[in-house]
Amino acid sequence: MAEMEVANKGKKGKRSKKLSTRVDLTPMVDLAFLLITFFMLATTMNKPKTMEINKPVEDKDQDKDMDEPTIKMSKTLNLMLGDNNKVYWYVSPDEITATSTIELDSTDYSAQGLRAVVKRRQNEVQAMHGDKNELFVMIKPLPGSKLKNTVDALDEMTINGVNKYAILPPKEAIDSLVALQINQKRK
Amino acid sequence: MAKAKIARKSTTIDMTAMCDVGFLLLTFFILTTKFRPQEVTQIDLPASTAQFPLPDINVMKFDISKDGKIFFGLDDQPTRMALLERIEEEYKFDLNDDQRKAFKVMELWGIDINDLPAFLAMDATARGHYEQPGLKIDSTEFEGEHQVENLITWSRYANPELRIAIKGDKSTSYKSFDLLIQTLQRCKVNKFNIITTEKKVAE
Repeated sequence: MAEMEVANKGKKGKRSKKLSTRVDLTPMVDLAFLLITFFMLATTMNKPKTMEINKPVEDKDQDKDMDEPTIKMSKTLNLMLGDNNKVYWYVSPDEITATSTIELDSTDYSAQGLRAVVKRRQNEVQAMHGDKNELFVMIKPLPGSKLKNTVDALDEMTINGVNKYAILPPKEAIDSLVALQINQKRK
Repeated sequence: MAKAKIARKSTTIDMTAMCDVGFLLLTFFILTTKFRPQEVTQIDLPASTAQFPLPDINVMKFDISKDGKIFFGLDDQPTRMALLERIEEEYKFDLNDDQRKAFKVMELWGIDINDLPAFLAMDATARGHYEQPGLKIDSTEFEGEHQVENLITWSRYANPELRIAIKGDKSTSYKSFDLLIQTLQRCKVNKFNIITTEKKVAE
C-alpha cells in the first residue's frame, strides 16, 4: 500500500530521485482507533446517582423534658421492613383503648404492593383531613431487612410524592407487638 | 458500439482526514477518562429513581459489602495526606515515604488503624491480594476506640466541604448500614447520600 512511486519519468539523469512525500496513514489510524476503543471501554461513562437522606438531629441534652411534636396517628402510615422482601404496614388509631384494633397487613415492594398501599392511604388522609400531603409515613426497617428494601421504600415516597416521611427505629410499644406478631427480631 | 472505458482508479484512500478524526476522539477520551477504581469488594448497587448525580469532588465514600464489612475512601489526595498526618500524630506512627506514597494512592481501604503501617509496608501486589477485614466500627457510643468516628472527624477537619456517600450492596443487611449511620450521627453528620443505579419508574 505504501506509495513509493519513484518519479521515473524523463531522462535517466543523475538527478536525485524525487520521493513522494505522502506517507501511508493507515497504520496510524489503526493505532488511533485501537486506543480509542481502549479508552472508551476503560472510562466510566454513566455516573452513579445518589439518594439524599436527612436524618433528624439527635439531640441528647435537649428534648428530654420537651414534648415531641405529636402527630395525629390517623395521619400516619407505619411501614415495617422485614426480611424476605416483605413490608408490613399498619395504621395505629389516634388513641389506643382496650377495644381498638389495628389493621396489619403485609405486602411487597412492587407497584401493586407498596405503592397501592401508599396511594390508598393518601386518599384516606385526603378524605379525612382534606389534604393528602398531611400523610406522614414512618419507615421502620427491621434488622432482617436489606439495604435494597430501605432504598425501595424511600423511592416509593418520591414516586408517590409523599413529602413527610422519616426513617425511625422500631422502638414504640406497638412496634414490638407487631414485630412479635410477624416473627421478626426487633433489634 | 464502442465499449465504455472504465477508468482505473487508485484504491488508496487519503487517510489524513480519518487520522485527524481518530486522534481528535482519542484526545477527548484520554482527557475525559477517569479510571474505575480498583474494587475492594464486589458491590451490586440497589436501583432507585433518584436523579441527583454523585458530586465529582469532595467525596468521602463508605462501601459496605454484602457481609457487612465497611471500607473507607477519600477522593482527593491532599485530604488523604492531611488525614494520614493526623493519624500518624494521634497513633504515634512513624511512617516512611514509601508507606505515605502507598496511602496516597489508596482509593478505598478497610482495616484496623493499628494495622495500617504493616499494611502500607506490603508491596503493591500483596496489598491488592490481601483480604481486608473492614474498618473496626464500634457497636455503641461508649465502647471501643472510636476509629471510624475519628476518621470522619479528622477528614472533615482536613476538608470541611466533604460530602458523604454510602455505597451499599443490595443485600447488605440494614443492621450493618444502621451501624454506620449511627456512627455518622454521633459525628453530627445527619445528611448523606446513598449511591444507587438508575431505574425507570414502572407504571
